Amino acid sequence: MYVSIEDLCFEYERKKPVLEAVSLTMEEGEVVAILGSSGSGKSTFLRVLSGLEIPRKGAITINQETLCSSKKFVDAEKREVGLVFQDYALFPHMNVYKNIAFGLSHLTKEDRKARVYEMLTLIDMEEKVNAFPHELSGGQQQRIALARALAPKPKILLLDEPFSNLDADLKHKIRKELKEIIQKTQMTSIVVTHDYDDAKAIAHRIIYLEDGKILREERLHN
Amino acid sequence: MLRRIRTKLNIFTIVSVIAGLLIIIPLLNIFVELRQPASDVWIHIRTYLLARYLRNTFILIFYVALLSSVLGFFSAYIITRFDFKGRKALSWMLILPLAIPSYIMGYVYGDMMSYSGSVSRFFRSIGYYGYINVMTMQGAIIIFSLTLYPYVYMMVRGALLKQSASFSEGAQLLGASKWRVFWRIVLPLARPALVAGTLLVILETLNDYGLVEYFNVQVFSFAIFNAWFSFGDVLSAIRLSAILMLIVFAIVFLERAIRGRRRYHLHTKTRPVKRVPLKGMQKLYPIILWTILFIAFFIPVLQLLWFTRFARYGLFNLNIVYIIINSISIAVFATLITVIIALMLANFNRGRMSSIKKSWLKITNLGYAIPGAVLAIAVNIFFIDLDRLLYPVYQLFNPETGRLVISLTLTMLIFAYVLRFMAIGYNSIEASYDKIGESFTEAAYALKSSKIKTLMKIDFPLIKTGLLSAAIIVFIDVIKELPLTLILRPTNYNTMATIVHEYASDEMLVEASIPALVLILVSSIMIYILTHAKSKRGASNVR
Ligand SMILES: Nc1ncnc2c1ncn2[C@@H]1O[C@H](COP(=O)(O)OP(=O)(O)OP(=O)(O)O)[C@@H](O)[C@H]1O
Ligand SMILES: [Mg+2]
Repeated sequence: MYVSIEDLCFEYERKKPVLEAVSLTMEEGEVVAILGSSGSGKSTFLRVLSGLEIPRKGAITINQETLCSSKKFVDAEKREVGLVFQDYALFPHMNVYKNIAFGLSHLTKEDRKARVYEMLTLIDMEEKVNAFPHELSGGQQQRIALARALAPKPKILLLDEPFSNLDADLKHKIRKELKEIIQKTQMTSIVVTHDYDDAKAIAHRIIYLEDGKILREERLHN
Repeated sequence: MLRRIRTKLNIFTIVSVIAGLLIIIPLLNIFVELRQPASDVWIHIRTYLLARYLRNTFILIFYVALLSSVLGFFSAYIITRFDFKGRKALSWMLILPLAIPSYIMGYVYGDMMSYSGSVSRFFRSIGYYGYINVMTMQGAIIIFSLTLYPYVYMMVRGALLKQSASFSEGAQLLGASKWRVFWRIVLPLARPALVAGTLLVILETLNDYGLVEYFNVQVFSFAIFNAWFSFGDVLSAIRLSAILMLIVFAIVFLERAIRGRRRYHLHTKTRPVKRVPLKGMQKLYPIILWTILFIAFFIPVLQLLWFTRFARYGLFNLNIVYIIINSISIAVFATLITVIIALMLANFNRGRMSSIKKSWLKITNLGYAIPGAVLAIAVNIFFIDLDRLLYPVYQLFNPETGRLVISLTLTMLIFAYVLRFMAIGYNSIEASYDKIGESFTEAAYALKSSKIKTLMKIDFPLIKTGLLSAAIIVFIDVIKELPLTLILRPTNYNTMATIVHEYASDEMLVEASIPALVLILVSSIMIYILTHAKSKRGASNVR
């Protein structure tokens, strides 16, 4: 298995479990949607996966590498996990180029430039390379956030409510685009949402999360 | 058509126009006076002294800006990002040094470190015979930084609290180390606050006269006083003022220019950063913060308390009591006027802003940028002109009237206070208007409520905390104010600030200690109220 998550337990405050023994396995290139109501622990699950929170118990292995177990904890900055935040979190003081290039500091200048333009082509926004985040629409900001997360070639892509800040018209368009981009890049992805239609449109499989526990899963024919 | 005129000509507009004119005219006066031929004194100053004044001024503001921004940023960062015992107390107490005027801190440390002072005696008692002279440029830099860093601290703390955790987390997930997250994300996002706070520090440093005089650090405000009162040449003082104003404008302009097209906050949901416990060497941070606070607040206060033991008359000196009452009442009065006008200005500013409106507001807020000595000269000239203009009117009422009726009265002094501190009151009120938005007020207007009624019934309760903090900050500034008061006060009129200055100039620190302590106490209480006032949503300013 490419991704294996075993028995993950987490709580912010003592005795108030937010994630209870969550286990999940994924194949390479698979897209899983996590569906759950507000407060069910979806965002928390992504934060634990990306290393922003330390689980009380459980193990995470991606591509044969253990990121987290009872003996080991790999820090968020070393995990190579891409996360698109619910509010995108584009750096407001950097233009589009700098935002996308931020995760590419290990590359040479030319390689970095090539990679940034590769990403911009992927999301079809080359003309906005010098724009600042506040000069972009919500949908454009989202695509830049996606490009920024994908640029360093993460092992897995996590998206937190990617459509929640978009209005209905735009949502359908962006949903389609997102699906195409994920397909094109063959990214193993987890998409968090509370909307069944979103989940159905994008994912191969839907996991139902409620009160920090996985209720059931549903395989789709995407 | 008629409607447009009616909406434009309301009381807020009128007040704003008058307020703007009242600041422009005195300032233009300074430049008008430049047409006068250069005096011998000026030629002397220009040939022998000007270069030194310029150099000293730049050295002073450069190092004060550097040191106070480091102190302010460092303390704000620790208070907002780490959790430790005593954090809450430190969070507001770190503002306390603002209650001590730089000149008082200067007098106290000047004395403590002098050959016969407590510190030097202590060192001699443990067998160390050298002594450190603080009454130098370096000493002035340190004292300014210790008393003024709270401006940076308050601004940066606010910015760091507002900074959403997603930014640093996002950077971390893109592989950035803690170090890189700090330098590329946290610091740049707080930069506008850092720059704004540092700008306040610079303006306050340029404004000071008491400390630079006592330490004999020959900077511009020193030079202006010197030209006026030692050389007796107002025209040279005016020329120096004009140069100082150009320097100030250049600095303010530079601050605007470096902001550029960037925006520092997007309207995203703010998820506050979680404070983490201290690890390893970080455990030293609280110790460093307490040390700063001791040096910048508790030690000078304790030393002043010690001095009071030797004061001959103690608190029961009627003259001192009279001066204390004087000071507080003039500060209250000036504060009230300032806040009321600032409130009008803020109302004038609401809604869509034309560019004329915007520039006009910038003008009315210029006062704070203008160093006290310069403003004093400008206001003085303005009032003398006004008296000349009004002389025929005075004669109508009293044929035996003197020529100077309103010049050198308390009216003139209060006028100058209001001009100088308008911007501070205004900015604080504007910020709270920004927070509540327009909808309530518009709803009231739609219900045919008049402007003044709306202000009293709707706006006022909503921005109460904003008004309170505006009033407190203005009050503290007025009560500490020295250079304006020294020049513009009526003869024999004293405030706590001037009497402290007078005693200290005569090396009578013991006598100065009581008014100095009362001044610090009053300001400290104000800071306590400011930091503990609950806002409407129940969130205290201390977090
Ligand atoms: N920083 C925190 N400290 C304490 N409790 C938290 C924190 N963040 C979230 N929680 C709690 O953890 C639970 C799960 O929150 P989480 O944000 O993961 O839900 P979610 O499924 O993403 O909800 P939404 O759809 O509203 O985004 C909630 O009960 C929430 O109150
Ligand atoms: Mg969520």
